[in-house]
Amino acid sequence: MKPEIKQHLIGIVGSENLTDSLIDLIAYSKDASEFKHRPDAAVWPTATEQISAILKLANQEKFPVIARGAGTSLAGLVVPQQGGVILDLSRMNRIIDIRIEDRLAVVQPGVVYADLERALAPHGFFFPPDPASGTVCTLGGNVATNAGGIRGAKYGTTRDYVLGLEVVLPNGEVLRTGSKCMKSVSGYDLTRLFVGSEGTLGVFTEITLKINPKPPVSRTALATFAVLEDAGRAVGEVMHSGILPRALEVVDQQTLVAINQNTNLNLPEVEALLVVETDGYTMEENDFQLTKIMDIFKKHHATDIKKAETQKEAEALWTARKSAYGVMARINYNLFVEDLTVPISKVPDMLRVIADLAKRYDLKIPTVGHVGDGNLHPVISFDGTKPEEVKRVEKASEELFRRVIEMGGTLTGEHGIGLAKAPFMHFEHDEVAMGVMRSLKRLFDPNNILNPGKMALEG
Amino acid sequence: MEAKYPFAEKFRDQILRCSSCGFCRAVCPVFGLTKRPAFNARGKMLVLKEVLDGTIELSDELIETLFQCTTCASCANQCPSGVNPPEIIKEVRKDMVHIGSCHPAFKGMNQVLQSHTNIYGEEAPADFERHRNKKAKCVYFIGCVGSYRQDEATTATLNLLDRLSVDYTLIDEVCCSGVLEDVGYEINQDMAKKNMELILATGARTVITGCPYCSRTFNKKPQYGQLKSEGIEVVHLSQFLKDFDLNVKTDKRVTYHDPCDLGRHCGIYEEPRELIRKIAPNFVELRHNRATALCCGAGGGVRGAYAKNSIGMARLRLEEVEEVGAEVLLTECNSCVHNLNNAKVRAQNFKIYTTPQFVNQLLSQAKRP
Repeated sequence: MKPEIKQHLIGIVGSENLTDSLIDLIAYSKDASEFKHRPDAAVWPTATEQISAILKLANQEKFPVIARGAGTSLAGLVVPQQGGVILDLSRMNRIIDIRIEDRLAVVQPGVVYADLERALAPHGFFFPPDPASGTVCTLGGNVATNAGGIRGAKYGTTRDYVLGLEVVLPNGEVLRTGSKCMKSVSGYDLTRLFVGSEGTLGVFTEITLKINPKPPVSRTALATFAVLEDAGRAVGEVMHSGILPRALEVVDQQTLVAINQNTNLNLPEVEALLVVETDGYTMEENDFQLTKIMDIFKKHHATDIKKAETQKEAEALWTARKSAYGVMARINYNLFVEDLTVPISKVPDMLRVIADLAKRYDLKIPTVGHVGDGNLHPVISFDGTKPEEVKRVEKASEELFRRVIEMGGTLTGEHGIGLAKAPFMHFEHDEVAMGVMRSLKRLFDPNNILNPGKMALEG
Repeated sequence: MEAKYPFAEKFRDQILRCSSCGFCRAVCPVFGLTKRPAFNARGKMLVLKEVLDGTIELSDELIETLFQCTTCASCANQCPSGVNPPEIIKEVRKDMVHIGSCHPAFKGMNQVLQSHTNIYGEEAPADFERHRNKKAKCVYFIGCVGSYRQDEATTATLNLLDRLSVDYTLIDEVCCSGVLEDVGYEINQDMAKKNMELILATGARTVITGCPYCSRTFNKKPQYGQLKSEGIEVVHLSQFLKDFDLNVKTDKRVTYHDPCDLGRHCGIYEEPRELIRKIAPNFVELRHNRATALCCGAGGGVRGAYAKNSIGMARLRLEEVEEVGAEVLLTECNSCVHNLNNAKVRAQNFKIYTTPQFVNQLLSQAKRP
């Protein structure tokens, strides 16, 4: 980095809020994906004006700026592939306002998901999209990736809750989108354009979120299926039965085997295990929902069905699903956690495809997922120090993505494109779609300073 | 291929297993205070991966992160990949010391223990007006902090043991030197030998330690293996006291801070609570408790080397005491009490004691007419 640029940046944020120490550059070289590249420097801004000044400078001097929250991306969204300056927003972590009567919360981008949950709890409210990284991930990151979670089938994803944004544009201007109203069709929906834009169009400095009253009662059940297709039919019928469970999760056979090999949980090694959770305001309401779901499980030949009577039993039923990631993370050194999504009816076919790929490429690809919305997490674990194994993983991934698109699915349901899926964007989006996306990028960011190299926008 | 640094041989597998998920951000006390990702376990593992790859060398540039870890192990406690960062870091610190890259405060600690009996380099041990080195059923091993910095807490503990008619003796103890293992050095064999000889000479079958770290060192370090082979039981004071009927009560709102050395490192969570609940029915838990307890910020040599951040971490812990509206914060570690008291600001009007200190105080008050 040119010394005069560094000096200028120090002038904006102060010398204590800029670093180019080796330890920081290494810490910012990676997220939770397998990609890695060091930035030239990192800054810790605390105000919109500072970010505006930084982007203005970057736009003039043409250096990359990568906004970063907790860096939990599984797809390389915040890896500074072309160097540049990391804008670490985790110190902008103030909950600005909670307005229960208006059902909204206003936050800075660095607020940790779990901290908002904790602030809303005394009001009996919650922010429904619940990423698995909720204890660490920041709301700015959630909005930038349009994060989802287990409750997606019933409550949707982050997109459904963003009412408005304050965004710093690459030329330093501050844009306000949306409104603080529950309804607004005033002008183009710029808010939605920014949600899921992976830091390529602007930097969020304030986020207005819709929040929900939290149903206080929930019930949990588990069912095992000897035949995968039976589980698939059961999921399909649940999802068009009129009952919307707040969670409907699948654990596949490869995962159950992996858990059994690494723990003493001794789970049944069936083709599919489903965990379902309902929510509502009364026990009767929950019982009604759960009974109907369990009837559907029975109809589709579930081999075993268990209903939790206590909170402790509910936790026990979740054990298989919740221990899956820990087990997968220990199978080998490296992990690709995918998040493809298919139409709900195609879930069993997709799980068959994944099992077949694992066999053909001699890989372990245990899969769990939010079947209620067709969102699956095949986890390819491998030893990145063995080039031959890495090759097989790359081939299997490419074939996986081809098959997903053939089935009418999408590359990513909640993690984003980033670097990991950029090479496959054209599988899903034709020239027209890519052309429009690239035009939008040029309109907002003509010098390509914001998070360059992501989402195949440079092609 | 032979590893360049011994830590690599021992921990390569674990370091590569870190999937960089970043979940340690939620629990690392140094990160919680500084919000600087280079300081949490993921940041440290990324640095070490580069050392393994050979893209960087161990050097002074890495001191700030590798020596700034309280070894509280809250990251290890919840790591999905089963990585144990504090164990790795302690090993790396040894390699850093070997190549001459070491935080001066850590180096100083080792030097002090070459020529003194305690980590503070104090000449005269405090006199608690008790017998030393006599025959007794138990040895009470005070530890450096209790001897030289928290002598009020120690006096209170000894008064309590007297009230309970425990047959104990003090010894001319020297530092257990367990802390040297945390800061890049080895346990001092001579000191270990001296402590063991003194303990054995008393004929005691039980050693009660006032410091959780000493208890951990005696029980787990091979240099103190003779204690076990001679059938001597080493317990922390909280374990020893739990079955006594103290016959005293308070209606104050009391909470408890789990010391990392007693909790996460030894799995002792319930014994201190059993005792506290007996005397304080109005007991309330801190937001982070038991295995998820926040570190007081003093461990792993951080208080000596990064005093400002150490106090900052303690402040964050004390905010949780305010959050639950407790009037008294109890803990079982002199080092925690010391750091937390140093961090307390005047506006915070709760009191911080060791449990024995508080119990002794209640007993004294109860006695008054």
